Amino acid sequence: MLRAAAAAEQLAILALARADSVPSFAADGALSPPEVFSQQLVTGLSNGMIIALIAIGYTMVYGIVELINFAHGDLCMLGAFFALTAVGAFALDGASGAGGVVGLVALLVATAAFCGALNWSINRLAYRPLRSASKLSLLVAAIGASFVLVNLGLFWGGLPMEVFAGGTSAAAPKAFPALVEPKPAFTVGDVIVSRPDVLVLAVTVPLMLALTWLVRFTKLGKAMRAVAQNPVAAALMGIDVERVIGATFFIGGALGGFATVVYSIYNQTVGFQMGYRMGMDAFIAAVLGGIGNLPGAVLGGLVIGVVRAMSDGYVEARWTNAIVFGILILILVFRPSGLLGAKLREKV
Amino acid sequence: MAAARRNPWVPVAGLAALAAWPLLEPALPAWLQLGEPLTEVFVYAILALGLNVLTGFTGLLNLGVAAFAAIGAYAYSIATCEVYPFQLGFWPALAVTGAVGAIAGFALGAPTLRVRGDYLAIVTLGFGEIVKDVLVNLDAITKGTQGINPLPPPSILGTPLEARGQYWLYLGFVAATFLGVRALERSRVGRAWISIREDELASRAMGIRPDRAKMLAFATCAALAALSGALLVSRLSSSGEPSNYGFEVSIIALCIVIVGGIGSVRGTLLGAFVMVGMNSIVLVRLTEVLGSGAEGMAAAAPAADAGAPAHAWHFVRTWAHNVLLTPTNWKFLLFGLALVLMMIFRPQGILPPRAVHEDPPAPAPPGGGEAHA
Amino acid sequence: MSAILEVKDVTMRFGGLVANERVSLAVHPGEIFAVIGPNGAGKTTLFNAITGIYEPTEGDVLFEGKPIRREWTAADRVRGLAVGATSAAAAVLALNATALWTAAINDRYVMGEPFPWGGALATVPATLRDAGFWPTWFAAAAAFLVGRLAFGAIWRAQRRTPDLVARAGIARTFQNIRLFGEMNLVENVLVGMDQHFRSGYWACLFRTPGFRRERGRMRRRAFELLQFVDLADEAAEPARSLPYGHQRRLEIARALATRPRLILLDEPAAGMNPAESADLMKLIRRIRESGVTVVLIEHDMKVVMGISDRIAVLQYGKKIAEGTPEAIRNDPVCVAAYLGTEELG
Repeated sequence: MLRAAAAAEQLAILALARADSVPSFAADGALSPPEVFSQQLVTGLSNGMIIALIAIGYTMVYGIVELINFAHGDLCMLGAFFALTAVGAFALDGASGAGGVVGLVALLVATAAFCGALNWSINRLAYRPLRSASKLSLLVAAIGASFVLVNLGLFWGGLPMEVFAGGTSAAAPKAFPALVEPKPAFTVGDVIVSRPDVLVLAVTVPLMLALTWLVRFTKLGKAMRAVAQNPVAAALMGIDVERVIGATFFIGGALGGFATVVYSIYNQTVGFQMGYRMGMDAFIAAVLGGIGNLPGAVLGGLVIGVVRAMSDGYVEARWTNAIVFGILILILVFRPSGLLGAKLREKV
Repeated sequence: MAAARRNPWVPVAGLAALAAWPLLEPALPAWLQLGEPLTEVFVYAILALGLNVLTGFTGLLNLGVAAFAAIGAYAYSIATCEVYPFQLGFWPALAVTGAVGAIAGFALGAPTLRVRGDYLAIVTLGFGEIVKDVLVNLDAITKGTQGINPLPPPSILGTPLEARGQYWLYLGFVAATFLGVRALERSRVGRAWISIREDELASRAMGIRPDRAKMLAFATCAALAALSGALLVSRLSSSGEPSNYGFEVSIIALCIVIVGGIGSVRGTLLGAFVMVGMNSIVLVRLTEVLGSGAEGMAAAAPAADAGAPAHAWHFVRTWAHNVLLTPTNWKFLLFGLALVLMMIFRPQGILPPRAVHEDPPAPAPPGGGEAHA
Repeated sequence: MSAILEVKDVTMRFGGLVANERVSLAVHPGEIFAVIGPNGAGKTTLFNAITGIYEPTEGDVLFEGKPIRREWTAADRVRGLAVGATSAAAAVLALNATALWTAAINDRYVMGEPFPWGGALATVPATLRDAGFWPTWFAAAAAFLVGRLAFGAIWRAQRRTPDLVARAGIARTFQNIRLFGEMNLVENVLVGMDQHFRSGYWACLFRTPGFRRERGRMRRRAFELLQFVDLADEAAEPARSLPYGHQRRLEIARALATRPRLILLDEPAAGMNPAESADLMKLIRRIRESGVTVVLIEHDMKVVMGISDRIAVLQYGKKIAEGTPEAIRNDPVCVAAYLGTEELG
């Protein structure tokens, strides 16, 4: 009842933004040609890759401390605000050519570092004291942390900077400059792949490969897998469990930082309540794939991205959230441990 | 253990003080005119008592309790508002609301019986979102974002109640809910709930049917939440818009339960006064007090915007004016910190549930030494 | 003699791990039957398979000659169809909610005038017709299928749940004590008595006279059970504050509260001193005298040899011997199985 006005305002603006970018094919009632389907598929896959990157942050943390890190989406929101501040402070939106690319890379790395450090700190301050508490306590603390971050986002949005529209309406969504212009990069048949689509691929795929390498082949990755399986045994083998958990939070947060920059460029709007939406999509993706399972998170992200795009295109955008949550509920009812998740058995 | 008996006069005195408050109000200074916000506290208290049944007793974390309040609010609005043909009175409409709420509870509870722990939390969260979206999207029925109004005020025997009467009526509802929830807690129903929370497998092995118990908990929670929604809108004479019943309301309810003492009926009641009091009384009053100061800032702010190089002090001052100096802008921080700090330092809440509910039977059989201390 | 509990060729497999392999037991009414074997022999797994916590990979568990398992009855078929039909109706209503409401209410109601209730339902068929045959029926069919499948899935998951087994008359205790720690002793026992309560939700909510009478009766009975296991002095303590041996006896009282005909005790003497286990033996005999058949898993050979009528020995998931204490003590195979770990008797 408290943030009603702000939320409605934001909903309206987001709906307008969507209406511009996503043509409604259902409106004219005609059967959609296959290119339209393919076009929605491209949009869906791009969004799906972003969602997947955020979902990895959920799934890594869940795998290691069995916590749904509720604050993860809001962490990404703060990352977007950080990026927007940096864009304003260093006038990155004016740069072009090689300078623009360097600026973009610097922005990505800085935001990732910011989000990683923030996630590490949240773990240190809020979750670490609760290591021996019940899972429910941990989840409640994460919800609390999420609310704190949302409030910090509200404060941040009130900064009197030009990129925040002077900060006079702290709660209002802010425009994020199109650092990569939404122009066609190339076409496949009649399907246009835009430059932001290419950006998404260029950022997400190498990161996922790097993460796979890290988890499979490095000492840290081995330690992470050991802690995920049995923290006590890992500690007995001389692994510094807290350090590994901290590293996991940092890496998960950093991936979220990369994702949030790409997301902001792709969608061109940021607001202090965006974390909730981003977090939900990513979390559902993680659950869909079986939480704790890295390839599952990527698969789940792609599925959610495509389902959203198809629902926007073929049903109606206003029903998309309901459809996505409906899918979540159905999956949990029929396969409570996700598509790729292993069945858990209670020890008696 | 049982020596920690509470003084039975504490609740009676509390109730008496609350009941007497409206009579004292004319003699009190303006900042103590609390009838309005206290009525809001009562509405939240009923919502939180319902949530306490599901989350506190049964251990099922529900992050979408506001959806049940929304369903109740809209059921009540549609049942009573003159723009619909039903036009039931206050009491019949409340009965309908309770029934609709219970059905909604079953509808969410039944498919999610197999979903456990934190997954259930997310499903309930999703349910909250779906309900909100559906209420907006079905605008032909719910009037969408306009909300439904006007609604008839609460009444007794056909006599509409003014503010003071509503205050007493709602206080009565809180007292009745309190007694009802406590009666359930201290019966086989509550025992089944608590045993499921403590160890579902062991309670199953003792012949408890968790599915039934969970469904009852869902229905009770939903019916009480729906009741609170109906009471909220009948007082405001408008359903408001669906986004009023968002995640934030669910979290406030959860905060109440957790800060008060999860699973504790008295604690939940106290939590409602602490948390909603903080939100609707302290922050609002502070904002009013600071309002004049912020006006002064406002006078300075445009100059800072117009002036060429934004001086650091101007920057901070404008920022403060924009958001920081409005205490209501701090509420998320407050609720968030309350959750985190409670979890770390006092996870059992301010008034944790009493460990012991059932006394041994009064007539001490021979041989067995008397057990109550 | 007909067995009260018959375990027939039960195999429990977890992935590649075989916890029980073709184990067969027959327990006779009024017996005290012990299951012994080294750690990891699959004794607790067998208990879990009997009480419905696990579903045997192969084999059957018969209680009083019948399997404890829900059968798919005509009532279940009707229930399944009803769930399917309800979801189908809900889906059709949900998809056409706006049109139905508009036709039935909005188009026909003029504010201030009496509403023609009679015609409201009559608009439904026409509205559904206008909605188009295929979308409506497709949605109905899909929702029916989902509802029916969900019912089936939930039913299948609940064919043989521990609560069903408990209600059929088999009670158990747990090796790693699973009491309700925050509840006091009386309440713990009352949880076990839950299935024998008759007052329902509303009676509990309004504290009807019948509820109060039943509550008094049940409390007295719970207290008697606590006296039976000699815990009456601590009746008002929370369970978690009890010493270990007392917790084991409280678990037995809680299990007896379900009024079982067969009780499974999983290492009841674990953590007890000699005096306590001597008391325990007396208690187990008294349980048998009250007409309850006892099956126990136990490592304390003094207890096992002292009270059992018959003993079965498990090793590596297989039953390697069965017989009277005397026979087991002299069985070279059993002695070999225990050699170096414990001494038989």
